[in-house]
Amino acid sequence: MTIVTENHVTPKAAVAQGTSVPKTNWKRMFGMQEMGVYYALLLLIVALTVITTYLGQSNYLSVQNLSNVVYQSSLIAIMAVAMTVVLISGNFDLSVASVAALSAVMLIGNADAIGFWPAAGLAMVVAMSIGLLNGAIVQFVGINAFIVTLGTMTAVRGLVLIYTDGRSLSASDPAVIATMKAFEGGRHDVFWLVLAAGAALLAFGAFRAFQTRMAGKRLRPAVLAMVVIGIFFLLVSWASGGELILRNPVIYMAIFTAIVWFTLTFTMVGRRVYAVGGNSEAARLSGISVTRYKLMAFVFCSGAAGLAGILFASRLRSINPAGLQGAELTVIAAAILGGTSLFGGAGSVIKTLAGALLLYSLTNGFNILNLGANWQGLIEGVVVVTAAAIYTVGGSKTKSRTGG
Amino acid sequence: MQDNTPIMQLRGIVKGFPNGTLALRGVDLDIERGKVHGLLGANGAGKSTLIRILSGAYWATLGEIIWRGQPVQWDNPKAANDMGVATVHQHIPLVPTLSILENVFLGNTGPWRRSLSIRSKFNELCERVGYRLDPDTLVGSLSIGERQMVSIFQALGTGADLIVMDEPTASLASEERELVYETVRKLSKGEQKAILFVSHFLDEVMALTDQVTVLRDGVAVLRANTCDLDENRIAEAIVGKQIVALERQAENRTPLPDSATEQVPRLELRDLASKGRLQKLSMRVARGEVVGVAGLLGSGRSELLHAIFGSDTNATGEVLLDGKRVARDTGAAVRAGIGMVPEDRMAQGLVPDFEIWKNTTLPALGSVSVMNALPVGERERERGWEAIRMLSIKASSPEILVKELSGGNAQKVTIAKWLFSDVKLFLLDEPTAGIDIGAKTDILRLVRQLASQGMSVIVVSSEFEELIAVSDRILVMRDGQCIAERNVHDTSEHELLLLAGGQSAAPEAARH
Repeated sequence: MTIVTENHVTPKAAVAQGTSVPKTNWKRMFGMQEMGVYYALLLLIVALTVITTYLGQSNYLSVQNLSNVVYQSSLIAIMAVAMTVVLISGNFDLSVASVAALSAVMLIGNADAIGFWPAAGLAMVVAMSIGLLNGAIVQFVGINAFIVTLGTMTAVRGLVLIYTDGRSLSASDPAVIATMKAFEGGRHDVFWLVLAAGAALLAFGAFRAFQTRMAGKRLRPAVLAMVVIGIFFLLVSWASGGELILRNPVIYMAIFTAIVWFTLTFTMVGRRVYAVGGNSEAARLSGISVTRYKLMAFVFCSGAAGLAGILFASRLRSINPAGLQGAELTVIAAAILGGTSLFGGAGSVIKTLAGALLLYSLTNGFNILNLGANWQGLIEGVVVVTAAAIYTVGGSKTKSRTGG
Repeated sequence: MQDNTPIMQLRGIVKGFPNGTLALRGVDLDIERGKVHGLLGANGAGKSTLIRILSGAYWATLGEIIWRGQPVQWDNPKAANDMGVATVHQHIPLVPTLSILENVFLGNTGPWRRSLSIRSKFNELCERVGYRLDPDTLVGSLSIGERQMVSIFQALGTGADLIVMDEPTASLASEERELVYETVRKLSKGEQKAILFVSHFLDEVMALTDQVTVLRDGVAVLRANTCDLDENRIAEAIVGKQIVALERQAENRTPLPDSATEQVPRLELRDLASKGRLQKLSMRVARGEVVGVAGLLGSGRSELLHAIFGSDTNATGEVLLDGKRVARDTGAAVRAGIGMVPEDRMAQGLVPDFEIWKNTTLPALGSVSVMNALPVGERERERGWEAIRMLSIKASSPEILVKELSGGNAQKVTIAKWLFSDVKLFLLDEPTAGIDIGAKTDILRLVRQLASQGMSVIVVSSEFEELIAVSDRILVMRDGQCIAERNVHDTSEHELLLLAGGQSAAPEAARH
């Protein structure tokens, strides 16, 4: 179809079009709003390293300690990544921790009778049906997601108490315990994998950078990111000294995050999730089924909570009905630290992951410095509000430029 | 103060916006005590800007505001309010969860939420206006007409001497309108208040006002006493002659060949209706036909488009595209080949935080994707460039966020997103509202081009000269009903204005 209107296109635009490579605003790219959470994480790690070295305590920056931090954060990170999807779609889910606890209870309560995998499947089905319930009430009845999930958070915790009768449950069948150990406690040496991935990323990134350089085009941020991540992987494998052991939950978290990141960034589904959250009316009038996307986000989030619950139960092989209480706030805090907008339409799961790591590095640092748990809440709260302030102030600046 | 000095004088008011549009270019306005002053003008003529300047929401870029003989500088609505200017806004800003009493005295600064003095003040107001409202009813439970009265009370409650009413009757039923007229008469004649009455309805302007000012393109083109005018002269002043070239094109346009109407119609509506918004309507649109829908705000014109598109879930009736039934939801409509450009582009048409390219590919993402699942950035950017080229969007690259574009360019993006898929029917809701004349002409030309390629277009607009310029056929809507249908060659903007404004079309109809 050809439509010819009078051509007002300026010559400048035509030249830029020839290169077809978008101009990158590097200053914005590396600004606090875009990269703030990475800076904060880096700053925290450097500060803790310097302090622990100065105080002569055990080396903070050991691969052992860092992989511990990642391990501790893995369950929260899985839930936070899924929470990010719900937030991007323009909703909110407070019920994740309760759903995770319910899933854990379903697993422990049934594993002895029907075996680990069927019980895990049951736990996932229960978790996802609560997500479906959340989403259905929000979308079809039209109640605010905050209220609905506040209700389900309390009600599902109640279900947990009813099911367990307020007592702790534990698994006793040796076969089940063995499967749990294998599923959650397994360790894998990923040294060669990380080394190879780092080398490949670095080589490919450098090659692309060289290519664009020769063609006289501008450097793309994706290429730079590849190089940086490649170097980071190489550094990690170098520091690990030939043995980099990761526990299963960390590997699950990495795979899960990678899949979600890929879906959000590269697929039509991802684009539509952002569109639905950015302006649901415009999305609806573009023929996108807004209801389905928002509903699926809830189901997905509860499914991730179910997975976290299964991992949690497998780790402890028993479950206390008050387990994971309050974890939903940490999950949401991680997403906010990662710059996810509570109004929908914006957010990145990689940054959410960095947010979760930031929170757990803080906790870990407090433990190492023997500061005690008393200070922890205060500092964490300040960090979250500061992060939100940075995002909001940066955001409103860009707004006022366009406001007339 | 002597009676014949105007209480409010505007001298050479100019208002420019940062994006370069000049909404007002030197407007003079005198409003006298005890008189109702009518302010008229087409959309985009500068009425709302003028009202905002009067009420203190905007600064005037140049010019003088003289209030009771003193030049004043208002920097916020409160300052204007304190000096005795109150505004009754078109979209009534009341707090629905508070009572009438609390809403009327919302700006009061006393320490108590309820007090006897406020109650007696309220009773006094009721007596002055001669209309009783129960002070303890919640505003949320009131009809629109009653809410309009509450906001008039609110204006009076501040003790204002000048009351600006921005289309107070636009969304009211006729008996509620009478109430507002009654009140306006009482206030101006009985209490010597000055009233600036903004309206689109010519009949009420004739009946109610003492003086009239007509704005066109930011200039006052007519200023006279109402008794020296008739509706025809006002209509002519509002219309002006802007898009002369396009109108000439319209004259030269050959009527659609009869064969086009004999085929299966592109669009057929059977008893399409939506409760409370749209009364039953059946019609056919041929291939390559442009149907204009003329109507004022709240006449059911946008509701018609939403009912066709399936975004109005309460709509009943059948929509057939090329003889096939379209299911009543937006996804089905898009798949069938209907494209919708909604009225409020930022709230309904675009994702403001997306770049141009992401917006242009939103409805037809599959066509730029690998395996119908993975959108390819390069192809999408190419689409963005194509959109910029095709519609002459003024943007340096498709990477610009649409919220940073000016109104006209954002509107072009909203249209562009439908140009890349197999869209057979375009529904355009006020595609030219609030955009400059250059972009306007581009868009109107595009509509004709789409039609010449066999696509059908339904355009809603409150600027009737544009409808005449682009349409083959024009429907006139009022109160959710299609009240007239005219071939474009047999009608005039003037007639449309009278029809939509509620004047009986009898003398005009006699012509046919």
